[in-house]
Amino acid sequence: MFFHIVKEKNMRLHPRYFGPRIREKLVMKLREEVEGTCSRRHGFVVTIIGIDDIGEGKICEVTGFAIFPVTYQCVVFMPFIGEVLEAAVTIVNKMGFFAEAGPLQIFVSTHLIPQDMVFQTGDIRNYTSNDKSVKIQKDSEVRLKIIGTRVDPTEIFCIATMNEDFLGVINDDPVTAIQHSEVIHQVTQ
Amino acid sequence: MSLTAESPVHSSSSSDDFVAALELDLAMNNSSSSSSTSSNKSLGRDSSNAGSDKDEDTDGEKEINKEGEQEADEEGQEADEEGHRRIKRCKIENIDVTLKSKSAIVNDLLSKRGCPHPGLYKGLCVNCGKPIEDDGSGVAFGYIREGLTVRPTEIQRLREIDLKNLFHKKKLILVLDLDHTLLNSTRYVDISFEEDLLLRKIDPMHGDPKRSLFRLDSMHLLTKLRPYVHTFLSEASNMYEMYIYTMAERSYALEIAKILDPSEVYFHSKVICQSDCTQRYQKGLDVVLGAENTVVILDDTEAVWQKHKQNLILMERYHYFSSSSRQFNSNFKPLLLAKEDESETDGILYSILTVLKRVHHMFYDTVSEDNLNGSDVRLVLRNVRQEILQGCKLVFSHIFPSESRGEDHRIWRMCEQLGAKCYTEVDLSITHIISNDRGTRKSRWAIENEKFLVNPGWVEGAYFLWRRMQEKDYPVSTPRILNPPKIESAQVE
Repeated sequence: MFFHIVKEKNMRLHPRYFGPRIREKLVMKLREEVEGTCSRRHGFVVTIIGIDDIGEGKICEVTGFAIFPVTYQCVVFMPFIGEVLEAAVTIVNKMGFFAEAGPLQIFVSTHLIPQDMVFQTGDIRNYTSNDKSVKIQKDSEVRLKIIGTRVDPTEIFCIATMNEDFLGVINDDPVTAIQHSEVIHQVTQ
Repeated sequence: MSLTAESPVHSSSSSDDFVAALELDLAMNNSSSSSSTSSNKSLGRDSSNAGSDKDEDTDGEKEINKEGEQEADEEGQEADEEGHRRIKRCKIENIDVTLKSKSAIVNDLLSKRGCPHPGLYKGLCVNCGKPIEDDGSGVAFGYIREGLTVRPTEIQRLREIDLKNLFHKKKLILVLDLDHTLLNSTRYVDISFEEDLLLRKIDPMHGDPKRSLFRLDSMHLLTKLRPYVHTFLSEASNMYEMYIYTMAERSYALEIAKILDPSEVYFHSKVICQSDCTQRYQKGLDVVLGAENTVVILDDTEAVWQKHKQNLILMERYHYFSSSSRQFNSNFKPLLLAKEDESETDGILYSILTVLKRVHHMFYDTVSEDNLNGSDVRLVLRNVRQEILQGCKLVFSHIFPSESRGEDHRIWRMCEQLGAKCYTEVDLSITHIISNDRGTRKSRWAIENEKFLVNPGWVEGAYFLWRRMQEKDYPVSTPRILNPPKIESAQVE
């Protein structure tokens, strides 16, 4: 789920940047250091929206760097266990399929795919239901429920299930699905 | 109304009560695990069901009582049957109610029974999502996705499913090596001056779909594909599901896969490289998700397949660049410098393709749906090999020391695999003498008695091309004392 939170960070700045553009430099460095990182508490930091306050910089006696406490607003993405979200399928293979929801990498194993969906190899690998009405293939949109998460410094991985009510394929038409996923990508980037 | 007054056997009614109480409990448990709203509904429904069932049953019992001529046991039995039927009815109601949340039940049951943790993705169990310690029993499938490991029981289950799938599609599995089997690569720095000149002459237009020379600039490598490789791949893909298994690095393997398979049809997620091997310097079929009796391996090196020699079809090495024949201390002149290339229509890949077709037919002739393990590719390969030199009786001359046992030598074993019989002494039933020296006693005996006299290349030709070669193409020349024979060290017999 996306959240808009206020965070604080102590930024270290080298004295060479003490000058007329010090504030810009601070903000630039903040963006470089924070955007795209993950933390266990807040999840994936998608983007910084604005700077609330930059406190007084204190010079560290030992190194000569100045330390500025910066308060900023950012959008974060944090998956929760039990959360239902929509994802776009990226890779399909015999052990399950991989999907992406923004910066999140999700794996759904065959154990958690409805039993009637069978893996088909071939030109386009997919899972097809018994009556051939439903297909999971690359670029399909699916609704999943997260059952496990793991946060690395740069990425978040999840295990999800499709075996419950109201979960499953939303749209297996790759054309419209790609258009949707492009919108999602634009928002998160 | 009171049950106890009506029913003659006191015990059955109390058992009915007990059964009813049990069912109520069951209903409550089931509905508590589903969402709250449906649970209220189901609770209400179930209790009313139980109540109504009780009513129905008392009516039934009344009828039985009215009939009256039954013995106590039978009545007890009937009451029990009624009880069973009531249980069934309740269960059906339960199933209806919980159909909406059956998966929740399943998950609940699973967690009660304990998730078997069939595999891990980045440390999380793929079935229950909990972080699990990797105890090393799983096999890492990094080539499918980094961070994926699968436990042995799950691998077994996947293999069985794969076997059924293969059977339905009438396919087998083919594991292909890259270097010297399908292509030959060389580094830019290893190309000699003459080779460079020759390459410039040959280098065709970039857009040519039939080109076989490719530059991998990011890795400073030049690659030459073996002739006939594209046709080979497209024909083999109709009968086999193909994997690439190489001892090279992943980046190289993926680049080559892109060249061989630009539309990612053959090898998507099936490129296994050195980092995926579970044992150092050994290739194994444990990372291939397929039953061992369906896998055929094409490789130029036997040493890396110690555990699966019977699945292996050994390929003659493809030396196009001089750096590669230098690497193997080979006596063969590299093809580029010799200004020639393997024949498209009569080369190694073509012969191997015929063999693969044959193996495929023979496998699917003997296998049936309910006995998928009945056929074995290894047996088929062995049988096909045995036919090549069937009926030949061979004696070796000047090939290996006569004190040593013939069976220990590679060429003896090759001949036996090819179906020929090897002997140490000559007699009139012998058909071929294998020698490098025309002047030996056995060679002269062969010439006198009009038996075939061939050099060891005849055996190798049969082994690599899977057919009996023309004996006249492998003559034995007059002895040159200064040059030792090629295959084994020799002694005067």
